Amino acid sequence: MQIIKDFTNGLWRENPIFKLVIGMCPTLAVTNTAVNGLAMGLATSFVLLASEIVISIIKKLIPNNVRIPSYILIIATFVTFVDYFLKAFLPGIAASLSLFVPLIVVNCLILGRQEAFASQNPVHRSIADALGMGIGFTWALVLLSIVRELLGYGSIFGFQVFQLVQNGGWYQQMIIMILPAGAFISLGILIGIMNYITRRKGVN
Amino acid sequence: MKRLIITLTVLGLISALVLSSVYQWTKPKIDQHEREKQKKAIMTVLQESDDYNEVKKEGKVFFEGNRLGEIAYEISGAGYSGQIKMMIGFIPAEDKITAIQILNHSETPGLGANIETNNFRSNFKDKKFGEYQVVKRKVENPSRSLDVEAISGATISSKSVTRLVEKAVEDVQKYYGGEG
Repeated sequence: MQIIKDFTNGLWRENPIFKLVIGMCPTLAVTNTAVNGLAMGLATSFVLLASEIVISIIKKLIPNNVRIPSYILIIATFVTFVDYFLKAFLPGIAASLSLFVPLIVVNCLILGRQEAFASQNPVHRSIADALGMGIGFTWALVLLSIVRELLGYGSIFGFQVFQLVQNGGWYQQMIIMILPAGAFISLGILIGIMNYITRRKGVN
Repeated sequence: MKRLIITLTVLGLISALVLSSVYQWTKPKIDQHEREKQKKAIMTVLQESDDYNEVKKEGKVFFEGNRLGEIAYEISGAGYSGQIKMMIGFIPAEDKITAIQILNHSETPGLGANIETNNFRSNFKDKKFGEYQVVKRKVENPSRSLDVEAISGATISSKSVTRLVEKAVEDVQKYYGGEG
């Protein structure tokens, strides 16, 4: 069925991070702990879903010449909503994501999906696309941030897995993994692994 | 042309309307979190007091505790990357700092971010006023010396915090006496 295909598209075949490699700003910046990665993934998914719904509903009313400013305006509205909402109800997460929440506006994943999908397809298909892309973005961020947090802090979701040297354990934390450079290294290796898997599947 | 203007105007208006109502709804909660965070920091740096008063002196805000003449004072300034904001507790009559608490910072995770840890903050526990020296060795008894043990790999962050503490000491001494 078409709608299922739209949904699963973002999970793997056109995964925003591992396949399309878009939305790199939050990907590289906030994935130093799993909680941050998950929160960023969910916040982006919400904005993506809400703006795809609105844009696919009103797409016929927007003249072609001003479609990009209109999309940005709609996206910015939802992003600001998320920003206030996090600050009011989840202040801890808002503090750790800080200025990367407003930066969701310029995440090219979101604008890209409006242009490529929501502006040409009916609402139910846009919802399926947004959910698929959102979940695809979120799992990729969480995977990347688990790798980085484990190597950088020795923990997963804040739960200490490796005892650190400074607390009397054995694990010497790799500071580079929680710095931006670590994001490039781990993302590159993960994409390499993904491509390897895809290629093998393609051959067999 | 006319249609373009109308579309953008209408979208802008709707967006402004939605956002201003969201703002109205979330503002009180956001303010409350800020106040709670500040209050918590004040209560942490004031060791003995269980209540405090806000006092303004020439535009500077001091939080006077109700025991031992304790005072909490908030200060912010440049760190290694971005601003460091912290709350510091004092007992001016005894010329000493009681404790410090980092409210906000954007130092390097894993290195400079360790200014938040108890390990580093304990450098300033019950510390006498004076000219502090940031040193790169173990400081055995920080409350008895003017040495501040730097975080390894984050000397600039350690120094920034120390300079801010010194600045706060100056402000407090100016308004609450003490030798100096």
